[in-house]
Amino acid sequence: MSGIIISNTLRTAWRQMFYWGLGLGLLGMYIVFIASNSDIVQGYADLFESLPPALLTAFGASGAELFRSTEGWVVTILVSELALFLSVYAVMAGLAVTANEEQSGILDMVLSLPISRRAFLLEKWLAYALLAFGTVLISGLLPVMTAVALGIEADIGIIFASILAVYPGALIVITVTVLLATLFRRRIAAIGAVAAYVIGSYMFSIIGGSASGPIADLLEAISYFSHVGGEAIVAGEYEPSGALALLVAAGLGFALSAYLFDRRDIGI
Amino acid sequence: MAASSVIDIKGLSKIYGRGGNSLVALDKLTLQVQPGEIFGYLGPNGAGKTTTIRVLLDLIRPSSGSATIFGMDARQQSVEIHQRIGFLPGELSLWQGRSGMQVIHYVASVRGDIKRTVKQAEELAARLKLDTSKKVRDLSSGNKRKLGLVIAMMHSPDLLILDEPTNGLDPLVQQTFHELMHEFRDKGKTVFLSSHVLSEVQAICDRVGILRDGDLKAVQTVDALTNVEFRWVHVQFRGGVPADVAQGLRSLPAVSEFQAEGANARMRLQGDFDPLLRAIAAGYVEQLHVEEPTLEDIFLAYYSGEGESA
Repeated sequence: MSGIIISNTLRTAWRQMFYWGLGLGLLGMYIVFIASNSDIVQGYADLFESLPPALLTAFGASGAELFRSTEGWVVTILVSELALFLSVYAVMAGLAVTANEEQSGILDMVLSLPISRRAFLLEKWLAYALLAFGTVLISGLLPVMTAVALGIEADIGIIFASILAVYPGALIVITVTVLLATLFRRRIAAIGAVAAYVIGSYMFSIIGGSASGPIADLLEAISYFSHVGGEAIVAGEYEPSGALALLVAAGLGFALSAYLFDRRDIGI
Repeated sequence: MAASSVIDIKGLSKIYGRGGNSLVALDKLTLQVQPGEIFGYLGPNGAGKTTTIRVLLDLIRPSSGSATIFGMDARQQSVEIHQRIGFLPGELSLWQGRSGMQVIHYVASVRGDIKRTVKQAEELAARLKLDTSKKVRDLSSGNKRKLGLVIAMMHSPDLLILDEPTNGLDPLVQQTFHELMHEFRDKGKTVFLSSHVLSEVQAICDRVGILRDGDLKAVQTVDALTNVEFRWVHVQFRGGVPADVAQGLRSLPAVSEFQAEGANARMRLQGDFDPLLRAIAAGYVEQLHVEEPTLEDIFLAYYSGEGESA
């Protein structure tokens, strides 16, 4: 691995990362700004208390108590939205690993250079994994800085940690997109399949969180949204096993992608 | 002989799809390209030229058979092979938002020895009159092709694999391209180029392989291909083509595609001249002109199946 593909990818795609991070960070700043008004936070908490548990799950919370603290309110509202928007970014990043260049024919030229397919895929995947982390970092730093600037009474560390905990989910979406692009070859087919995966995962998270029983538990377990962990971080009950499981799954998914990519025809 | 071949393809087949929808793109192709030659790979669209090139570059995997380049397996040792080759795809796609020089720098950085490679790229760009400061999206198709040639040649590869290299190049640049190819060969390096432009192949290639429907119909030197047994014969008679002479010529087994207009008769002669000379002796022959077949004629003859016996 020479690192040339990584550095080149970082050099050409950092703007996309920056703008996404900025956009999501602005969203976070807006939510923090609202949270600076305790009356609004309490009003929301009262409203959420009247909602059925299934609807609360759609907001990423298992109970209305979470909305009573400022950090709980910020984390619950922001993290669920971040997880969803970052999934879109992650799909775009995953498509940029091979699908876009394969569809346009650029990959023919790139793979005629002295670099193995596995090394190429690894460098591109690592580059977009880093870029996704950068996006999460920017989208976390802006609301945290806003919270400090506004002097809101909240645990800033919890807010920042909750935002960073979204990252493993983004990495798994990037990896699934790469895997599907490797399997289907055609970009549009990969987009359709990964959209089904993201939407399905979101639905599984809601259904699994609002129902009980083995099937609901299974649905919740296989949804990457269920492992975001914002609520657990606020409650001080965060177990990193979910995030670790996502990181391991991403690693395995990448290994499978590399295996398949190395064995198939390019650009057909 | 095969051991020293730059490219050695043995029994290579490529079948796309499965079952009833399968398509045989290459059918047990066997071919050797020798060091220091310019090998022209001729065939119409869909003949299998690009498929062969893509197998050589390890972009697609053969259904059966093998291909080696510099004695190395095209699949197992693709990275080592790619270090020594330059490639121009038939349809060159590059990053639209980057300038030519940015693309050159990127490719050079992957290849290594950036300083020397970029310097050579600049020299090549100057010869081809290519402005490398322009973004790819602003380049005409001809200029994109030039950029592709620069990228393929800038690291002084031992083997050039070019898919339809002169597509979109204006005649002056084509001339420069021909010069570059001859200079390249004079350094003992090898060129494998696919084309459907017969005049181009005739002008620069040492040997030609003719491909049809995935099947290699013939491999010949350009000289030998031209030296086939049929000729075009033009005869000018005084006072017009006599009817009995025309009938006599039409009835000759060696004559085909007979056309008579006014005083002129044109026909294709396969084999000896004697029967034709006896047939035209009944008229008064003012002029007799024999024309060698062009490579296009030969090309068409191979496609119609005649050339295989030529």
